[in-house]
Amino acid sequence: MNRREFLKGSSVLLGVAALGETAGCHRGPKYPVTVIAMPDYSRDVSREIAAAFAADGLGLKGKRVLLKPNFVEVHPDRPVNTHPAVIANTAAACLRLGAAEVAVGEAPGHRRDPWYSVLHPSLRSALDPRVRRLDLNHCRGVAVPNKGDRSGVRGFFVAAPVMAADVVISMPKMKTHHWTGVTLSLKNMFGVLPGIYYGWPKNPLHFAGIENSILDLVKTAPIHYALIDGVVGMEGDGPIMGRPKAVGALVLSPHPLAADAVAARIMGFAPERVPYLVGASRFLPGLEAGAVEQRGEDPERFATRFECLPEFRAMRREERG
Amino acid sequence: MGNSHKQQTDAATNTIVPLVGFIRADGGCPYYRGGEGFSEPTLLALLALHVAGVSKQETEPLLAWILAARNGDGSIGLSPEHRTQGTWLTAQLAVVLHHYGASAPLEQAVNWLLRTRSAAVAQDPNVAHDNRLIGWPWVRGTFGWAEPTAWVLIALNLLGLAEHPRAVEGRKLLLDRQIPAGGWNYGNREVRGRELLPFGDTTALALIALHGHVPEEAVSASLEFLKRTAEIVESPYDLVWAIIGVEIYGIDVSRAKDRLAAVIDAIPSDEANCIHLAMAVIALSGKKVFIP
Repeated sequence: MNRREFLKGSSVLLGVAALGETAGCHRGPKYPVTVIAMPDYSRDVSREIAAAFAADGLGLKGKRVLLKPNFVEVHPDRPVNTHPAVIANTAAACLRLGAAEVAVGEAPGHRRDPWYSVLHPSLRSALDPRVRRLDLNHCRGVAVPNKGDRSGVRGFFVAAPVMAADVVISMPKMKTHHWTGVTLSLKNMFGVLPGIYYGWPKNPLHFAGIENSILDLVKTAPIHYALIDGVVGMEGDGPIMGRPKAVGALVLSPHPLAADAVAARIMGFAPERVPYLVGASRFLPGLEAGAVEQRGEDPERFATRFECLPEFRAMRREERG
Repeated sequence: MGNSHKQQTDAATNTIVPLVGFIRADGGCPYYRGGEGFSEPTLLALLALHVAGVSKQETEPLLAWILAARNGDGSIGLSPEHRTQGTWLTAQLAVVLHHYGASAPLEQAVNWLLRTRSAAVAQDPNVAHDNRLIGWPWVRGTFGWAEPTAWVLIALNLLGLAEHPRAVEGRKLLLDRQIPAGGWNYGNREVRGRELLPFGDTTALALIALHGHVPEEAVSASLEFLKRTAEIVESPYDLVWAIIGVEIYGIDVSRAKDRLAAVIDAIPSDEANCIHLAMAVIALSGKKVFIP
């Protein structure tokens, strides 16, 4: 089923979606999502991040933590990457909570030169010297059987430092995406697969269907926490060629789908209309607005409208019929 | 100029020292220090050691590691543990075997490359390139992309097979993927009507692969992009490729080489990548190991 067929044929789900945004209709457990105001990247929010981690029960004392940002290109005029300040604040929060090791790792999908990724000097200068930076494109992959059933791939080669970490924090940039509509903490996990096993781009995953591969990967590789950089996101022709979109918020949750759903709503999309988020809701909680226990700032305070390519306009909140 | 040449020679010599430090006891080289041996860093280290005139006795463990890592069909994978991934590596293997004069495994590798094809897929209205053209994939059974296709063309050119029908089609693929404003991305020139941005490494590889086989005006915008890259880029990997690619077209890159020496020196030890150092040795040497 392609995206267009999905959108045409999902009237029942859209009905649920409409209800899902109605306060109080959700029965069952609630999943915490914290929104932290970060008006610009100069503000130190490491204490707020540490407080959110603690409130969410993310135990880091003595743990090996891997921060997985979206850090794939360096363009001064395009907010492509999770900002170094957000990564640095998060690393500082992990160290404050007693993490034994903190590393920042990334395997960009279209470019193999790590200087444009986590080995970029801008990140080195922002980070505590105790934090290591890992080029996950050129490292050993651990063969992990596919726990999903969508892509048809037998397994994934997941970067060894990801598998060795006790805690993996997916730290995407809040962006539109020219193949999937939005890219947030679930899509960000493509970057735990070393390019030497898949190539640039990671074509075997495209052959298997990008959305199918996201879903299987998220079932297979660990995400213990999501922290989305929405201080300045990217709208339009993301994930590389779009324009800056100021939002001024971080979105955090131990439930990555719940974080993505809240971020999508802030961006002006209905997560119930984003096919891979709906697919993920079959095994992850938090898609519906009513399933979220909102902490910190009210996300509606930051709600805006990210421009998107025409193909994805049907995913917008206001397009709901 | 003479002083600059001496500085570059010194820099090449200085770069060999940390490169040699990557060689593990078993002869394999990791991408990063402390890692396990992989084919690509071992192959490019072999090429750099050859360029630097290191003795056969010293390169023997690396060559033995590589020959043992080969598959029965003449190809080579990522490492002895992951033998089926990495089509571009067999092209690098052919380049290395050519320079080391290992004719029997070379013939096997080339035959494997000529048998290996990228997948053709239905034309996608969201991309501008011709999906039917056949080149070489990163991973067997998938689509053809700029870097693996360029590596195989470089190998075929070195071996006098530039007019083989596969090479001719490979060149068509590269030209089809060239970004109109100049350069190559990973292999798409545009997505959904939006031209993509060129990369230094893929542009250099494509220009080397096409050198002498297409009219220079067909790649002039790309060469201009690479010249600019050589002048300004700070990335060690992009810079080594820009130097090699531009110099092959007969353009002076002395200033870029001077800059490269400083860039390499500035890399923290634990972030030094074996293939970057190996390529730096080749770039600083000025030896044209990628063209006949």
